[in-house]
Formats: sequence, structure tokens, C-alpha cells
Amino acid sequence: MNRFLCEISAVLRNFESILFGRYPFPPGSLGLIVHSPSETTTTPQPFSIKDFIGDGFLWAVPKHRRSIEVRMKRKYGSPQYKMKTLYENKKLQICDTCGNYYESGILCGFCYDKVRKETTLIKEKIMKKLHLKPIDSDVVVLYEGEKGEHADEFWEGKRIVEMEKPRPQWFSKNLLQKTTQPNATTKEVKPEELG
Amino acid sequence: MNAAEVTKLMSELKVAVKPRHRRLKNPGGSEGRLINLSKTVTALLKYERIEVHYSRGDEARGYAERLISDAIRYGDQHKPTMEMADFWLRDKSVIHKLFKVLCPRFENYKGSATRMFMAPRSYNLDNKDVLKKYKLLSVLELNGNPYPPVLPDRSQKNRRLIHNVLLNEARKEFYLQKQKSESDKDVNEEIVTKHPVENINETETK
Ligand SMILES: [Zn+2]
Repeated sequence: MNRFLCEISAVLRNFESILFGRYPFPPGSLGLIVHSPSETTTTPQPFSIKDFIGDGFLWAVPKHRRSIEVRMKRKYGSPQYKMKTLYENKKLQICDTCGNYYESGILCGFCYDKVRKETTLIKEKIMKKLHLKPIDSDVVVLYEGEKGEHADEFWEGKRIVEMEKPRPQWFSKNLLQKTTQPNATTKEVKPEELG
Repeated sequence: MNAAEVTKLMSELKVAVKPRHRRLKNPGGSEGRLINLSKTVTALLKYERIEVHYSRGDEARGYAERLISDAIRYGDQHKPTMEMADFWLRDKSVIHKLFKVLCPRFENYKGSATRMFMAPRSYNLDNKDVLKKYKLLSVLELNGNPYPPVLPDRSQKNRRLIHNVLLNEARKEFYLQKQKSESDKDVNEEIVTKHPVENINETETK
């Protein structure tokens, strides 16, 4: 009885291999139920290359083997031209004003970000004030409380753009100021003349 | 014609202009390229500080410099200069600015009229267009603009930065050690000069 079962299972495995190829499903994954006797199985056609050459077509395939050097170069790049792998940045420097890192030859990101934001604010203000009028004089940017430092005649003929906020600490005003202050006009007073 | 006469023919620029054109991709061909460049030149003269990609800014800079120096050299009565200004400045109110504001500003100016910096790449990583292209951005500006200076004031170095504090301490320690070793050497030499015979005797006994 045991031997008979073994024979039947061998026949079934053979049948499976005909249907699904040389590598069947793993055991237990798919059960095949056979209703009809084994005489109904079709005999396999002999394989011939004419089956798919006659009415099919083939895509282009590589003709030659790609050498290991070329494969490595395509994968990782070459040090002579451009490396595709990660490598260390040797240009990093420390900013003197803020202490952040920046690439040498390029502006410090932290410092420039401040300048950019302030610049866009001033630019918007200038464009709003100017609108479509012809530009015929230089712009003077004043922050809060700076217009009162001079008399009205001083500002005559200048295009003033006022920002409604105090001047940032890092944006020094000395472009407007004279570098040398005039000497103080004081006289020497002897102690006897006092009081 | 010798070199001295050639320099009189055209205005001398204070920046080095590359003899080759930059590769600026444009669907309009060379004409569209010029239109794009003239837009950049107009924006530079109008806003006085712009951000552009490096190659486009670098080429536009040369044209802007040439335009300003020609305007200073010939004035607004010169017909070719006026035609040039008309071509390069698309916003016609900027022509007014060129002759009335920029000519007096740069007439007796030491150095070039424009300045260019490389902008940091990472500051607008939120802008996806820039991230996609990953080109080098640059800041192009006219000198004497009203905006805050791009380069920070480096006349006074920050002594309180941790790197500077550590370096200062290391420097002090190094000098102290040097002084100490020198004074030790002096003492040793004095001993040697005072008792040369005894020293020799010691070495022999050893
Ligand atoms: Zn910084």
C-alpha cells in the first residue's frame, strides 16, 4: 500500500513538472486535483528555435562584456574627473562675525540671510515710494528717529525712504556720517575764573 | 595703430570681462538670450542689488559696466550711447537714472561700478526650483547702494568666539613654556661656566 502511494506521488510530480516547468511550487503550497485518468495528458511538443524566430522579434542585447574597470567607474566615478562617492569638504571655514561654518569663496549663510531679509524690506519700500516716477536722485534710507538728527534743509532734494523700525545693530550708519568730527569749540578756563 | 590709440577708442573697464560668451540656454536662441541679458542689466540698474545665477550675472555685469562707463564718457547727447541705453534698458525710466544718478556717482569713483559675490547655496533650500537646478547663485550689486553691506565688518575680530579664546590661551601657554625653558637653559649654562671641572669629573665617574 505504501509503495503504491509513493508511485502515485511520483507520477503527480512528473505531471506538475510538465505543466509548470522544472521547478515546481514548494510542497504544500498548491495542491493539484486530478479528476480524469492519466491518459488524457497531452504529450509535450519538442522544443525548436523556429517557434519564436518565425513570427517574433528580439530586442537589442549587449554584444560585448563590459570590463570591471568600466563597471567600477560607472558606479563610483573616477578621481581623475568626478567622484560619485561621498568625500570631505576641505573648504570649510569659520565666520569671524557669527561663528558659523561657511565655504571659502562663498558668503557666510547666516550673515547673508540677515542682509537678504533687510534688503528685500528696503527694496519693497523704495519701489512702493517710487512707483512709476522717473528716478533722478539717490535714495537715502532712514530708520526710526533718524530724520530729526538734521534740519529739514539738509534733507532737501534727497529721496528719503523711512523704515518704521529701529536700525539693526549690524547695519552701521557711518556711510552717512563724516569720518572726522569737527573739533570741539571750547576754551580753557582757569579755576580762578570759575563761579 | 599702436596700443595707446586703441585705448582711446573705447572706455576702459575696471573689471576683467571674459572674452568668451557664457552658455546660457534659451529657447529664443541668441536673440532670446540677449533679451534675457538685457532684463538682468535693467534689473541691476533699477534695484541696485539682484540675485542671479552666476554665469548670467557674470555676463550681464560686463554689459552694465560698459554701459555706465560709456554714459560717463560720452554723456546723454551722444547718439550711439543713447541707442545702446535704449537697447539694454527695457524700463525706460532707468535710462533717466543712468544719466542723472549713476553718472555723477561713478564719475570720480575708485574701482568698478559693480560688485559680485557668490551666494551660499543652502539658504533657500525650501525653494524647489533652485534645489532642482542646483546652479551657483550670485549676488550682483551696484556700488554705493543704500542697502546693508553684504560683507560683514571684519575690521574688529570677535575675541569672544570660543575658537579665539582657546587659541589665545594656547598662545599664552606656549610663550610661558618658551620663557621657562630659556631661563632654565641660562641657569644650566651658568652652572657649566662656574664649575666646568666638576661637571667633567661627574661624567667620567658615571
Ligand atoms: Zn557669519
